[in-house]
Amino acid sequence: MGPAESVHLRFFVRRLAMLLVSLLVASFVIFAAIYLAPGNPIAALSGGRSLPPDSLHVLEARYHLDQPFIVQYWYWLSNAFHGNLGISITLRENVSDLIASRISTTAGLVLYSSILIIVIGVGLGILSGFKRGLLDTSTLVITAISASLPAFVAAIVLILVFAVQLQWFPSLGNGVGFIDQVRHLTLPAFALAVSSLAIVARVTRAAIREEARREHVQTAVSRGIPTAELIRRHVLRNAAIPITTISGITVASLIAVAAVVEVVFGLAGLGAYLVQSAQSKDLAVVQGISLLLVTTFVVMNVLVDVLYAVLDPRVSLGSRAQ
Amino acid sequence: MNRKLTTHRVMAVAGVVGLLATACGGRTAGGPSGGQQQAVTTKAGTKPVDKVVWAVYRDVNSLDPIFAFDYPENTTDSLLYESLLRQGADGSLGPGLATLSYPDQSTMVFTLKPGVTFWDGNPLTTDDVVYSLNRNTDPALAGFYSAVFSRVQSIAATGTNEVTIKLKQPDYWLASEMGSIPGMIIEKKFAQAQGSNYGTPAGKIMGTGAFKFESWKPGVAVVIVRNDSYWNPAVKPLVREMDIKGAPNDASLTSALLTGGINGVYAQALTTLDQLKTNKAVTVTYGPGWYTDAFIVSDLKGALGDVRVRQALSLALDRKGLIDAIYKGTATLPKWISNRGTFGYGKSVFEAAYAAAPDMTQNLAKAKQLIIDAGATGKSITIGMSSELTGISIEANALKAAAEAIGMKATLHSVSAQNFINFFIDPKARVGIDGFFTLNYGDYAGPESLLATLIPPDGSQNFDGYGVQGTDPQAANDSKAFTLFDEARSTADPNARAQKVADVEKMIATDLPWIPVLQPLIVLITSSNLTGAYASFAYMFAPWADKLGGTG
Repeated sequence: MGPAESVHLRFFVRRLAMLLVSLLVASFVIFAAIYLAPGNPIAALSGGRSLPPDSLHVLEARYHLDQPFIVQYWYWLSNAFHGNLGISITLRENVSDLIASRISTTAGLVLYSSILIIVIGVGLGILSGFKRGLLDTSTLVITAISASLPAFVAAIVLILVFAVQLQWFPSLGNGVGFIDQVRHLTLPAFALAVSSLAIVARVTRAAIREEARREHVQTAVSRGIPTAELIRRHVLRNAAIPITTISGITVASLIAVAAVVEVVFGLAGLGAYLVQSAQSKDLAVVQGISLLLVTTFVVMNVLVDVLYAVLDPRVSLGSRAQ
Repeated sequence: MNRKLTTHRVMAVAGVVGLLATACGGRTAGGPSGGQQQAVTTKAGTKPVDKVVWAVYRDVNSLDPIFAFDYPENTTDSLLYESLLRQGADGSLGPGLATLSYPDQSTMVFTLKPGVTFWDGNPLTTDDVVYSLNRNTDPALAGFYSAVFSRVQSIAATGTNEVTIKLKQPDYWLASEMGSIPGMIIEKKFAQAQGSNYGTPAGKIMGTGAFKFESWKPGVAVVIVRNDSYWNPAVKPLVREMDIKGAPNDASLTSALLTGGINGVYAQALTTLDQLKTNKAVTVTYGPGWYTDAFIVSDLKGALGDVRVRQALSLALDRKGLIDAIYKGTATLPKWISNRGTFGYGKSVFEAAYAAAPDMTQNLAKAKQLIIDAGATGKSITIGMSSELTGISIEANALKAAAEAIGMKATLHSVSAQNFINFFIDPKARVGIDGFFTLNYGDYAGPESLLATLIPPDGSQNFDGYGVQGTDPQAANDSKAFTLFDEARSTADPNARAQKVADVEKMIATDLPWIPVLQPLIVLITSSNLTGAYASFAYMFAPWADKLGGTG
């Protein structure tokens, strides 16, 4: 094994250990928070009427709700170690099955949004970075407004214009079949992308401007290097690090913000389910989804780190880009 | 991020707790009048419809009828399963999967209709009936309806098509329950094979209804389709597929109704009702509700122990204001605790007694006098509420204003939206509280079905020990209501029974163990090209979409 590989191995082992510790800490903190939060998980079943006391007692015993906090957590943790994430109280079904059925919606939404952010955001940033004038000015104005637009406001505006008025896109639900699903995800994806897209565009523009001013670029210009190659090799290559950083962070944060958009559009995604389960104190579901989100977040960060090393030979895995 | 989530949480919880919250003051459009009874159905559909998306206030949690206790499950189960007897849209009780006879007062004989089959083609047997009824009381299953069977001695097949229920003492309310959720029949062999998966998203179900189960994707919809081999050839639904879907909040529901993403809903205290009423894309229909919005008196040891104080508060309450603020006019003034829509039997008896009863209108002068008579001036009450639930909050503030207008003091004890439910299920949460608000309903069209939870000493919602020595200072008088109520339960003749129940209503409209606030109507909203759904609360218990279809 060469020194580079052993560095890589150490990097991945360290990240894996960090992931496991994060998961353990997160699971405890979330379990405690939900446990302490107000409400009764059984109550969500009755819709505000009094359940017969006998039924209540049986259900409480079945889900160990009559046990002290630490015992409940231990039940959950020991089962989780055996790959059993528990049973949802409201739906009486395995949490892993319930989560699995919703991953694709959230993944599709985040992917769709990410594509919008990277293609439109980075594209707009590059264009307005290189071309001063009307395009640049209008990009600046529009992104200034949309960067400050929260996803749920964007969602309401989009529904009003494109669903209720123009009736181009549906306002609710997932759809069936690929084309229909893409149609259903379009408004949510835009709602989710709008503010991040603007931020990515602005950071990209700034990075391009910064690089274009550098000495080596000016030297290259004076040497008569063709514009296309100049942009590709000397500007974009160097601007790639800040663009990757901001895109990575933005896309990772989409997973969390997706909850808001999913709720508004009635999408059966992980985020909306997390909100719903937290309300009904369906502990096992909240735990399952949270762990999945924490894992995804950590993995995304690892990916960004790997990408740094690919983009910039001066950066090696295990050290951070400056 | 946190702030946004909290906003949504509160919006959704308003629904979860099922309290008709979320409304806020504002403009009041001309609502339906409460003077005459509304129609119980809409005009039958005439054209086939391929697919209808029907909204419920949250996702369905279970398709097992023993766990159906709230709007989403009831709405769905009543299309899939059939009960032994059946409630019509007007609440009248008739034959369902069986006909009922009483050889004597303590014996109920159900004779199964011939030719009834489940979706899989298997015939309905007495085994299925006995099994389904007994599941209600199986402690291991923890179903929600075991109390309904409290007078049942035994349930057994007594012939090839006959099931007999032996009673410990006469119980003429059980028949109505057999026309509701507890009387729904599932297939024994099928359910046993499914085990604990029955009625969960992982499992399948088996009923006899005119719609059959197709698929269930949690968070998306329960999909049911027309059962083309339905045992009763006279019934042929026009809708091929129905998707029953949780609508997360008023805004999503409204935009989806306007764009056709959702085609129908039985709405409750919808904040956007005025906007929908004037839109041509949808039709809004009002019908009789069977539910009651009331203030539950949960402690008779405080100021509310004196009946005159309860009467004074009732007289001081601005009910008209609440009807407009919370229900946009789609509710009526109460006369009794029970909604007039619940008169499913003994109709003429109930209607006559009801007509003679006074509306509960505001009369501050009389209320003030009662407080002076009771020596309650300056005394204080504590109202349990949640400022996160708008409807509840409006009601609590109205009651506080009423108390203060007549010389009393009132304190609001606010809890989080999620904790509001604890007033109902946790005695510790009720300590120091004099009462709280509720929207409540019984299992069938009969005023007694709601009263059975609040009048008997062991009633699941008799929180204040009304009529019980030691908790009720006027127990000697108040227990009369229960005595008469219990007599009614054993009275065979429907009209004589109705008279007793009406008398009880009259007594408690003065005694006020609960203070009725208003009687909500059914608000049915459908796409304007759809018609035929029930327009009464019967949709919670009986097949309400047999005639749903396109307009001609």
